Amino acid sequence: MSAAERKHEFVDSLRRRQIIDGLSLGKRTDGRGLTDYRELKMEIGAIVKANGSAMVHLGNTIVLVGVKVNLGTPFPDTPDEGILTVNADVLPIASPYEEPGPPDEDTIELARVVDRGIRESHMIDMSKLAIQPGKKVYSVFIDVTVLDVDGNLFDAVSYAAVAALMTTRFKKAVVKGDEVIQSDKMMEMPVKTIPVSITTAKIGSHTILDPDGIEEAVMDARLTTTFDSANRLCATQKGGEGWFTPEEILRQMDIARVKAKEIRSVIKEAVKNAKKS
Amino acid sequence: MSKIRRKFVVPGDLIVRGDYKPVANVYREGNSIYSLKVGLSEIEGRRVRVIPLSGRYAPRVNDVVVGIITDINPYAWTVDINSFFSAFLPATDVFGKRFSPERDDLTSRLKLKDVILAQIISFDRSKDPMLSAQGPRLGPIRGGHLVKISPVKVPRLIGRKGSMTRMIEEATGTRIIIGQNGYVVINGPPEKIPLAIKSIEMVEAEAHLAGLTENIQNFLSKSLGRKIESEKFDGE
Repeated sequence: MSAAERKHEFVDSLRRRQIIDGLSLGKRTDGRGLTDYRELKMEIGAIVKANGSAMVHLGNTIVLVGVKVNLGTPFPDTPDEGILTVNADVLPIASPYEEPGPPDEDTIELARVVDRGIRESHMIDMSKLAIQPGKKVYSVFIDVTVLDVDGNLFDAVSYAAVAALMTTRFKKAVVKGDEVIQSDKMMEMPVKTIPVSITTAKIGSHTILDPDGIEEAVMDARLTTTFDSANRLCATQKGGEGWFTPEEILRQMDIARVKAKEIRSVIKEAVKNAKKS
Repeated sequence: MSKIRRKFVVPGDLIVRGDYKPVANVYREGNSIYSLKVGLSEIEGRRVRVIPLSGRYAPRVNDVVVGIITDINPYAWTVDINSFFSAFLPATDVFGKRFSPERDDLTSRLKLKDVILAQIISFDRSKDPMLSAQGPRLGPIRGGHLVKISPVKVPRLIGRKGSMTRMIEEATGTRIIIGQNGYVVINGPPEKIPLAIKSIEMVEAEAHLAGLTENIQNFLSKSLGRKIESEKFDGE
């Protein structure tokens, strides 16, 4: 990101000091505790025509994810695995600091961090997405549209993508002679685990979970960690100019593991309700 | 003291005919005075002016403003003063005549996003407003809470001879620094600040209404559970 570009609200030093003063008393600007998440609302199946979809509200942050499953040719190095692609787009109406045009660095980072969480947790059994190894596999496109930015896009998008994948249904392909054709039978995404992403922000010497827009604007550093259903760490991403000490990281991992469990149950509940109806 | 006559006007509206003096946001054609802005026209004696309902800050020399440092180069700071121009504060103003860009580091005095109280010392159409941070009370503001209000509401927040500010300060036990550009810094005990912010926001929201002083006075009295006095002036 070039220096002239402003991705966040320009927050004066007085505001930053107030936020830090508040944090040392254990209070955040919106009244949350240091490790509290904002209200997480999930609307699964928001896009009727997609194979799977979810709209997630995390406080004022709103993201929409759609999953499309097509037939494709596998990559030469993984002939017996399906293809997974995550694309992210932040709409210009989502934030005053977002411009139209090709995705910028931050948006690409967003797509890649979400991709990494899903891929490295082995959420999807990719070998089950192969139809004819080396020739035809399912290719899964996860398209992310950010509708409203108020901090912590990593987590919001990750939850939406995971929920969308868990409810994805697509036409089963069958091999007929030399050809691969789509049948009328539907199949579900082979989901093995539920990855949950937890983002920590560091402001001054304080660490908080789920930073909102203003907290992201004043934070020194952020750390996004993803845990699978067995609460094993499977992906991390660090951002910002500041740093974390090893102790801080270990402490955050413990906090994040507990939080990941809570959020996984919210996602599970939402998916269960969506499948019922 | 003569009575003030107020009327809602849009640009081009005839405010008054006759021997009157245009003061602000009005223009004269022949002996008629017309409005330049959407706002409330005021005729006070022979003086005619329009108080706009909205708008950014138009810099004026000698105004004291609250600014936020948005950029630093080897010779000057760029300062956001809520205007259509960004102001600049030359390094020589802070370091003195012996300033040398090789020796002196600007960030040692003012960093990015720092807040300052400064005075506009020169401004015309051909160049951006220049600030000075030398003078009584001027300089960096190291603490407090920054509130941004519309610059056109600043006169209402100050009140007649500073009465409105004084009333809020006395009632809430805070110190309020007002920049003419609509940036306001409140200092004081943390528990008192929310009420001061609320009062200032109320002044901004109701600036165009009659009886503003009484409304604020009632609001403060109610919130604090004790009677708040406002200063009385002749003719009010």
